[in-house]
Amino acid sequence: MKRIAILLLVFIIAIGGTVSCASPSAEKSYKIGALTSQTGKYSGLGLQTLEGIQVIVEDINEKGGINGIPLELVPCDDKSSTTGVTLGAKKLIEVEKVDVILHGSTTALAQSTMPVADEGKTPAILLSGTALFDDQLGKWCFRPMGSEEDYVISFFQYLNEDLGITRVAALLENSGFGQGFEFFMPGIASKYNIEVVMTQHFDPTATDLTLQMTDIKNSNAQALVIWGSGPAGALAVKQARDMGINSPITASFAQGSPDMVKAFGAYYEMSPSLIVPASKTDIWQELPEDDSDKAMCQDFASLFLEKSDPPHPANFYNVLGAQMMLFVVDSLKRAQPDPTNVEKARSELRDALESTENLNLLTAVYTLSPEDHYGSVMQKIMLITFKDGGKILVPR
Amino acid sequence: MDLSIVLQFFISGVNLGCIYAALGLGFFIIYSVTRVLNLAQGEFVMLGGMLTVTFYSMGVPILLSTLVAVVIAGLLGGVLYRGVIHPARNLSKATQTFLTVGFAFAIEGIALLIWGWEYRSLPNFLGTPNIHLGGATIIGQTPWVTGITLLVVTGLFFFFGHTIQGKALRACADNPLGAKTIGISVERMSLYAFILAGTLGGIAGAIITPLTMVSYSIGFPMTIKGLLAAFVGGITRAEGVILGGMVLGMAEAIAASLIPSGYHSIFALIILMAVFLCQPRGLLSSPGKT
Repeated sequence: MKRIAILLLVFIIAIGGTVSCASPSAEKSYKIGALTSQTGKYSGLGLQTLEGIQVIVEDINEKGGINGIPLELVPCDDKSSTTGVTLGAKKLIEVEKVDVILHGSTTALAQSTMPVADEGKTPAILLSGTALFDDQLGKWCFRPMGSEEDYVISFFQYLNEDLGITRVAALLENSGFGQGFEFFMPGIASKYNIEVVMTQHFDPTATDLTLQMTDIKNSNAQALVIWGSGPAGALAVKQARDMGINSPITASFAQGSPDMVKAFGAYYEMSPSLIVPASKTDIWQELPEDDSDKAMCQDFASLFLEKSDPPHPANFYNVLGAQMMLFVVDSLKRAQPDPTNVEKARSELRDALESTENLNLLTAVYTLSPEDHYGSVMQKIMLITFKDGGKILVPR
Repeated sequence: MDLSIVLQFFISGVNLGCIYAALGLGFFIIYSVTRVLNLAQGEFVMLGGMLTVTFYSMGVPILLSTLVAVVIAGLLGGVLYRGVIHPARNLSKATQTFLTVGFAFAIEGIALLIWGWEYRSLPNFLGTPNIHLGGATIIGQTPWVTGITLLVVTGLFFFFGHTIQGKALRACADNPLGAKTIGISVERMSLYAFILAGTLGGIAGAIITPLTMVSYSIGFPMTIKGLLAAFVGGITRAEGVILGGMVLGMAEAIAASLIPSGYHSIFALIILMAVFLCQPRGLLSSPGKT
């Protein structure tokens, strides 16, 4: 009997551990499936994204919903696994009957969402993913989040035009995130008269990067470009400084997240201080008064501070999460689908997403089309650095 | 190759080896006595790191923070045995091993609730500065990792070789039935093994946090690293685990000088496969033991 009880418990844990979706209910509402990594190794990214989505949903509902119809958020944890993504997306589509899925996690998991969304004929907006798979988005998935190319340009333009650097070393994460950066790097480097004298890689879970740093230190690079999606990238900054690499270092937006800054702020501020890309919302106080985005960024920053629990300033992934939801809000306002007919609503919402035109959001201006689900994007990337425990715009 | 580069590879290899060995020793203790693979071992590492950071951020001196964290991790090892393994003692070892996975999920979930998803770090113990040696750099925490690992290993050898409890644990590992016959409580020894493994995990977590950072989710990757060291060297002998850790650490360092850096991690798996093919019980396994 005891054995059966234990086996039953194990079975329940196994089933429960596979996927977990909250199931709120409302009579007539637009159902938004938020499939994010709430647990597991990508939970940092997923929870921040979810927080951004929640803030917008709450705000829209307080204002009376969309054309009087409230939004109903159905959060679902993909457990940072491809299996979790597949099961979660299927559950959102087939059981929860959501009108749209917002997926907030990494590239590999975003790729797992695509076939399920396609098969279920449900529009999905993906947070992550390299521009390398934009031709695989199919009919139902959208990834209007910019490309690694934009970040490569911002780094190399700054290094060459502002600092006069002509030789860099690159330390890239061994993942789709890093591959995308590496794909665009050679062409853009030559455009800015920069030679990439060394390219090293690191595992996303790496803890010792001194080996790579030894080679980089012994190269003749004048600057170091680090591109990682998690803590290993921040460790790389620390270990570069530990190893006596005193040249300028640029890193990805992930290394600018509050926990990384808290852990390694002292290393980030070492001269020359670390350069990372950020959204305008991150640093709206420093924007000039004539910046047309200042009011929008300030409004969102205030809204997020008011609604986040516990209250805290919006960071990059919060902004991206909110932005995914703002895409949906814009399309719902234009399409005004009937929420009681899910299949028709999904189709109309997809058509509306495809006709997004010059949508001015927090990190860029987006235009999508039936042929282009990645979109023509005008980025608003800012380069920031770290000083006296805070963030400042990079002096140009 | 420049001498400074060779020296740096050696330093990194030893450092990585010590980390692998520190993570693997907990598996050896529990497996030797109970034949259960404790797949929650990485959670003790996580707790050691998280608790040390927590106490340190409350103003407790770093070494005292470490001590308290290690004691708590050790006690949780006892909780794992008394609360999960002991009630299921009559079930198969495979079932008991699977139950440790459930315990790992529970600890991870509780840690997420308490500490959130953020990564945390610690400064080098006692603010130890980096050491620049012949063109190579020893990061300030590395001597602590190496030194404390050596101390732990020495302590384990003393414990198993020269104390009654240690000898009783060895007896249980060698021949549980024989140990029971001469009056040794195998169950009590198993409890001690789990407490000791929790303690070792806690120590590993505390000392590597300044090098690696810590978050609620690092437990599973740490479990895998420790298992690799234990399987390569031979999970039934402490010196095997240490050798396994060192082999993996040095191999990664050598790989770094010979192959592109993106492939470092697969090197560990290639070594594991090679060892399994040539010496299935690990490099230093005890004869006749699995």
